[in-house]
Amino acid sequence: MDAIYLLQLLLNGLVIGVIYALIAMGLSLIFGLLGIVNFAHGEFYMLGAMLSFFAVTDLHFGYWTTILAVTLVACAVGLLFYHLFLASLRPADFERSILLTLGISMVLQNGGIFLWTVTPRMVPTPWSYTAVTLGDLQLPLLRLFTLGIATAAFLALYVLLSHTLVGKAMRGLSQSRDAAAMVGIDHRRVARLAVIIGIGLSGLAGATLAPVYSVQPTMGAAFVFKAFAIVIIGGLGNIMGAAIAAVMLGVLESLIGGFFPLTLADSAGFIAMILVLLFKPEGLFGRGVRV
Amino acid sequence: MVWLVLLCVPWLTSNEYWLDTGIAIATFAVLSTGLNLIYGYGGLLSFAQVAFFGLGGYGAALLVTRLGCSFWLALPAAAVIATLAGLLIGYSSLRLSRHAFAIVSLSFALLCGIVARDWVSLTRGSMGIPGLSLPGFDAPAQMYRLTVTAALILLAGFHVLLSSRLGRALQAIKLNEPLAQSQGIDPLRYKLLAIGASAAASGVMGALFVFHLSIVDPSVFDFYYTETMLIMVILGGAGSFWGVIGASVVFSIVPDLLRFSPDLRLMLYGLVLVAAMMLFPGGFAGLLRQRSLVRWRTRR
Repeated sequence: MDAIYLLQLLLNGLVIGVIYALIAMGLSLIFGLLGIVNFAHGEFYMLGAMLSFFAVTDLHFGYWTTILAVTLVACAVGLLFYHLFLASLRPADFERSILLTLGISMVLQNGGIFLWTVTPRMVPTPWSYTAVTLGDLQLPLLRLFTLGIATAAFLALYVLLSHTLVGKAMRGLSQSRDAAAMVGIDHRRVARLAVIIGIGLSGLAGATLAPVYSVQPTMGAAFVFKAFAIVIIGGLGNIMGAAIAAVMLGVLESLIGGFFPLTLADSAGFIAMILVLLFKPEGLFGRGVRV
Repeated sequence: MVWLVLLCVPWLTSNEYWLDTGIAIATFAVLSTGLNLIYGYGGLLSFAQVAFFGLGGYGAALLVTRLGCSFWLALPAAAVIATLAGLLIGYSSLRLSRHAFAIVSLSFALLCGIVARDWVSLTRGSMGIPGLSLPGFDAPAQMYRLTVTAALILLAGFHVLLSSRLGRALQAIKLNEPLAQSQGIDPLRYKLLAIGASAAASGVMGALFVFHLSIVDPSVFDFYYTETMLIMVILGGAGSFWGVIGASVVFSIVPDLLRFSPDLRLMLYGLVLVAAMMLFPGGFAGLLRQRSLVRWRTRR
């Protein structure tokens, strides 16, 4: 074992970790503000990746244009998703919200399989095989871009939540719906924004990761299952907790995958989730939308 | 009575298609009643039923092929394995919330499928473990009789369980947990009991099912089973014992007759689920309950 191999694993883990973070933060934000676990969350990530494939191959969009366009479309889809399905749900509608989002996930995933088959597709970019060399270390450019984009999105969300009025409203609403209503916060508008941001982040994650890995309709299901574990480890509704847990899980999985059988890397998130539930059910960082 | 009638079916038809359908009905009736016990009566959404089913199947198959166990020993062992898994996910997640239980159960089911596929040295991955046979039950008719008998015993067990203290306690917890707690009912204990019983029954059916197919591969963990069970429980009426069994019969036969492609079928089930949740906020059981309430009011 040498240091280069370890650093390479660490970088891969970081890249996948920040993408987990984009998905898990949205999931956590939606849960924190609407009390809904969005089981369809992974499918929006899948749709983002699929859309970027078609944008690049059919519309000949460039790398950055694709990411921007897909993210905007995802935000619009989030708005639609909120108005069509989530707006009528109350936090007390426990089973309804889960079954509804699960049903949507099944329609999107199996519709995707039906339309596009499960054959993996590659999204071509000008830098697919470009790497920055740092001593003995090879840093693929696309992975560095992914790291940068995800960090920028994370910082933007952080600033939004901690330094703006609407962020304050979000934090307030997640603590107490009634108290927030009393000081004049329109919970619908805040919830709508949360869903737009959450789905937008998912689309961004899909578009960013699409050129790094291959794209296929079942990719969402495999991903969201990690995101669930992350959200529980970080504390349901705790956005920064989810981000930290996501990066931790990404690195952990990559390190385990580098030295042990694949099964163990896949199970790491689940085992960590069960351990957290057994010994610290509130999650490592506590509940509620926090920054 | 029912048992005797059903056992006579193989004499009426030697058509293997109908015997297979009979086995599918028996299997799904137990699986969806198991989900009904947890979700319909206990108010907990469990997506892990397919994991209990598959664990029972893999557990029995591995015990028989690797350790040379007899099937009759592997069958209760399958129930024990499934129950332990159920208690693990129930105990860890229920102390947090119902949402956590839904999340953990779904994650568990997905994980089981991934492990079955990737742990090639144990499970042979997607090639599966073929050549499972049950001496003395090689003919389709014999396997049919065995499965139907087991299913009827398990369903009778569920019925007894639900009309006992457990069923009433579960319903009390679902309606008003703090009130039930104040009456000395420990919610966690009863929920775990329900999960354990349901997991055990699903595990037994899983073991029987893979020996009927004579092969077990990662597709026993397929989301298709989860979705089918959910549709049966929701359209049959969550919390209605006979409604769910009726729906199990209907939904084991009809989709097969329509011969949809599997992807399209799953998509259609998803649409049904979305429509049901949008149109009937309380689920179909809620709708029926509401209608019977209205009828009861107008009669007076």
